[in-house]
Amino acid sequence: MIMRGGQQLLLPASPVFIWSSLLAALLLEMLPIGRTPWMPDFLAMVLVFWNVHQPLRIGIGLAFMFGLGVDVHQTALLGQHALSYTTLSFFATMIHRRLLWFPVPSQAVQVLPLFFAAHLVELTIRLINGDVFPGWSFLLAPIFEALLWPVVSVILLVPQRRAPDPDENRPL
Amino acid sequence: MPLGTLDRSPPPFFKQGPSALSKLILYSAMALFLMVADSRFHMAQPLRAVLATALYPVQWLALQPVRAARAVGDYFITAQQAQTQSQNAASKLAAQAARAGQVEQLSLENNRLRTLLDLREQLKVEGMAAEVLYDAADPYTRKVIISKGMSSGIALGSPVIDESGVLGQVTLVHPLVSEVTLIIDRDLAIPVLNVRTGVRSLAFGDATGGGGLELRFMGSNTDVLQGDLLTTSGVDGVYPPGLPVARIDRIERRAESAFARIHCIPLALVSGVRHVVVLKPLSSQIPPRPAETVPALPVKKGGKP
Repeated sequence: MIMRGGQQLLLPASPVFIWSSLLAALLLEMLPIGRTPWMPDFLAMVLVFWNVHQPLRIGIGLAFMFGLGVDVHQTALLGQHALSYTTLSFFATMIHRRLLWFPVPSQAVQVLPLFFAAHLVELTIRLINGDVFPGWSFLLAPIFEALLWPVVSVILLVPQRRAPDPDENRPL
Repeated sequence: MPLGTLDRSPPPFFKQGPSALSKLILYSAMALFLMVADSRFHMAQPLRAVLATALYPVQWLALQPVRAARAVGDYFITAQQAQTQSQNAASKLAAQAARAGQVEQLSLENNRLRTLLDLREQLKVEGMAAEVLYDAADPYTRKVIISKGMSSGIALGSPVIDESGVLGQVTLVHPLVSEVTLIIDRDLAIPVLNVRTGVRSLAFGDATGGGGLELRFMGSNTDVLQGDLLTTSGVDGVYPPGLPVARIDRIERRAESAFARIHCIPLALVSGVRHVVVLKPLSSQIPPRPAETVPALPVKKGGKP
């Protein structure tokens, strides 16, 4: 097995945890907080995370399905988020072997163009469809997403960082 | 196998499935097809309804914290606020009582006059109360989701009002919820009547998405004044006549354009409304359009029959 220097060997990811994290992200996405173009897309972040860490489990097809769900919830054009998440997931799969060699802050810099591209895809589709420009604050969303990448990485890797043999001194 | 992860099963060496690029092409094509079907041919409605019903439990769960916050906020309202609110309501009621008394008498008189003049009976309007669940998060349009759907008998195209005016129109009906496009959405047009002058026109949502309305295609010499009240004109067969819609806020007459830019402010609470009434569209009560009589084609002289 190829190992990164000075990194902890991770436990296998539990499918239940992967799915519940995706569901929690969908819930966060659906919180009724109004029209805020600068709001980071939590579902996209979690999808990219699992695409990078577990590409055999969470792939492009799932991203597409979640995108359709978000479209219906937001009453957006059907297929808009599906296309943006598909693109996001494709690029995440492309860079997943390289990305994990970097420390987490550098990973955030590397995923910034991905999130930016995803938001640009949505904007382009809506402008072609003849909708109103939502204002420049939408440019903040990919930046927030990249800034939250370390947070997401820490939270979602917690169950894999537990001790493989819990005892009295290491209960978790 | 993911980097640095201890997995119990070895990764598949040869059976990798379709490549990422082919998946990207497949799913992008599907997404594009759906978008075209949705925006150009309006065929994606069944899929939307199915997905909306499947997502309803998750949506319900996501709404609970907001509902709880609202309930707590309502509980901790101060006595002073409650007194102010009740005073406001009482004064509003007193102001409306005189008019309400007049309305009874006027509608009686109106009915008599109508029978006398042999005019059509006025259309009856039925309403159904609904609660606004949430503002649609899509920043490109202006829509809200209400708590009544196909199961409560909401019809597509029904006008939606709140206590102070027209809020919008039902544009999509799901089994349990429906989607209301607000009058400030750029794609929604509403026929209005200027109460002061009686001039009819069309109000559109602000094209810049600024949250107002615009009277389009009004000549720069039209008689409009700041503060004019616009009500529904009732010529469209959707909105009942006489519902207040907006008040004119700003008029820009420019030399280079034949039209004036007339900006209006909606009277309904387009952001933060909680309770609405969905009216039945009038189109079901309107008699059908008389069949067009095809004029006989003039026979050309010397032409073959």
